[in-house]
Amino acid sequence: MNIPERTLLRRLFLPYDITSMAPATKVLVYTLLVLWLLVVLFPLYWLFITSFKLPVQVNDGPDFIPFIDFKPSMHAWHYILFELGNDTLRPYINSVIVAFCATVVCVLIGSFAAYALVRIQYRVKIGNVLAFLALLGLTVFTVTSLGAPLFAAAPVAIILFVFFVAAVGRYFRRALGNDDILFWIISNRILPPVVVVLPVYLMFQRIGLLDTHIALIATYTAVNLPIVVWLMRDFFAGIPLDLEESAQIDGASRLRIFFTIVLPLARPGLAATSLLILILAWNEYLLALFISTADAQTMPMLVAAQNATRGPQWWYMSVLIVIMIAPIVLTAFLLQRHIARGLLVGAIKG
Amino acid sequence: MRVRMIDVRKSFGQNEVVKNLSLDIADGEFLVLLGESGCGKTTALRMVAGLETVSGGTIEIGDQDVTNVLPKYRNVAMVFQSYALYPHMTVAKNIGYPLKLRGTPAAELDAAVRAAAEKVHLEDLLHRYPRQLSGGQRQRVALARAMVRTPSAFLMDEPLSNLDAKLRIAMRVELKRLQSELGVTTIYVTHDQVEAMTLAHRVAVMDEGVLQQVAPPKEIYDDPANLFVARFIGAPAMNIVRGAVENGSFAVPDGSVPLGNVAPRGDIYLGFRPEDATLAPADEAMLRARIYSTEMTGNETIVTCEMNGEHVVVRADKDYEGALDAAVGIDLDPGKARLFDCDSGRRIRR
Repeated sequence: MNIPERTLLRRLFLPYDITSMAPATKVLVYTLLVLWLLVVLFPLYWLFITSFKLPVQVNDGPDFIPFIDFKPSMHAWHYILFELGNDTLRPYINSVIVAFCATVVCVLIGSFAAYALVRIQYRVKIGNVLAFLALLGLTVFTVTSLGAPLFAAAPVAIILFVFFVAAVGRYFRRALGNDDILFWIISNRILPPVVVVLPVYLMFQRIGLLDTHIALIATYTAVNLPIVVWLMRDFFAGIPLDLEESAQIDGASRLRIFFTIVLPLARPGLAATSLLILILAWNEYLLALFISTADAQTMPMLVAAQNATRGPQWWYMSVLIVIMIAPIVLTAFLLQRHIARGLLVGAIKG
Repeated sequence: MRVRMIDVRKSFGQNEVVKNLSLDIADGEFLVLLGESGCGKTTALRMVAGLETVSGGTIEIGDQDVTNVLPKYRNVAMVFQSYALYPHMTVAKNIGYPLKLRGTPAAELDAAVRAAAEKVHLEDLLHRYPRQLSGGQRQRVALARAMVRTPSAFLMDEPLSNLDAKLRIAMRVELKRLQSELGVTTIYVTHDQVEAMTLAHRVAVMDEGVLQQVAPPKEIYDDPANLFVARFIGAPAMNIVRGAVENGSFAVPDGSVPLGNVAPRGDIYLGFRPEDATLAPADEAMLRARIYSTEMTGNETIVTCEMNGEHVVVRADKDYEGALDAAVGIDLDPGKARLFDCDSGRRIRR
């Protein structure tokens, strides 16, 4: 055995025991952490103090410390909250309604899909998929080029497809499995939203839903569904099958098992996923820009509007962003205690 | 209720794991399905529970054909190896879950939960969560949940195998007592032959999906139907010696055992249990061997002898002392020796 003597230098660089860090390492780690903390917190600080600055202070700046570098002013807050008044309140309420509804609907539907993909093995015959696509193309062709009415062409196509699947479908060999379905779902998210923005706009225009909450909720639900499916799938896969089988024998239906056993046990996943979707829906700009114009306008629109004809109004933007952050911070605070591990302890084994 | 499996088969793809299994389990009977892991015993149990579809054959509970009936309508209660407790519910909620699903009124439910908990001595732990319980307590919650209603049958899948040895023996005693008190038909799957022998009214031994023998424990032990059962049951296992029958006795190069009126046969197995043989001076005994090792277990000494390259185990008095490699003789009770066909492994009856 050759245990080195604990000289001063070694004491600095060797950990005291296996559970602690060496003093030098500790200094390094905490230095890096403090630096990172500054990187994260500084923009928030800058935003906050800018909301109390006068235009002249912003333009002359940079001023860092209130009361010393500059005298805080409430003018921007007064303008946004009182002069704009309802013009601030309406987008704010719109954002709350749209983001929270979209999150709830999206997480619910996505969880159903994720659960099904975890517990049921699908075999989608490639031949049937191709037949579906062919009939879809044919329907589009007859409606657009031959002038057939959609309400007649669509049912005919659906009936033809059903007959095709019943008659020929089972002879197909090659099939797609759950992994292929999952890849298809995530591929929907890989597509840049800007590609679909015009079709989506035209679709809502045609059915008269432009500039409504429903349009935004539906769009955000569809866009974020792949994320929910992918995240929730892992959480559901972690729940032991024994629990569900036991519930089945105890007399529960599939739906009941999902709501009383599976969802409560996936609570950490639900909380984390909901928060993520909420943030995505809350901050979404591009789709909202097209779908909402006035009545359903959301907060990101209003923030962007502060950079219009008069040039960037940083002080107004800062106020809007500060009040925009508040609900998300509050929700994150409420949800974080659910994002805990160890829920499954005690389910199985001794 | 009476449970019948008639010619039940189960295949996973090309792999047939249960082959033409027929069992008739009487009302109130305790039947143990015994076999090595992968022998199809758990699959058989899961088919009775309805957790696995049946590839062929019929399953009846009571007078009803339940082959294609959903688990929730079979009214069986199952105890899983992993216990499968619902981790987000208290002990009381866990036990009461099957009744809650049946819409039992609250007062009645509470009384039933209390009664079931008392049977397994859990009445003080009703408000706890599974994670706050020890392995043995979790096991008892699983039992109470099965007993809280009056099921048509108890299905138990290695319920004791996650407990430590001492607790396992204690629970075995409890389980046997509870089953006879409740008088509910029980199918119990295990790979532990001691559990099978001690608990069962009848033991069903399975190997590679095929039922080998169904009989009361004593008969399984004394009168095995084939070589597999003979080797599987008993610890230490039955000795199997290969030899020939000549002039009414079983002959090996190192001696012979008189059998009486048995037809001559070239190749045959003779089986005898370690307790049916005794050690004797080498020159006077039926068989001659050398001592390979001796193990004193407390109440007896297990002497492993080497005879013609094969090991033969004899139970001796605890005070027996024999030097390693010493020549020794083995005498056995010819009436308790069993003969088996070398090719098929089937028992040859005298």
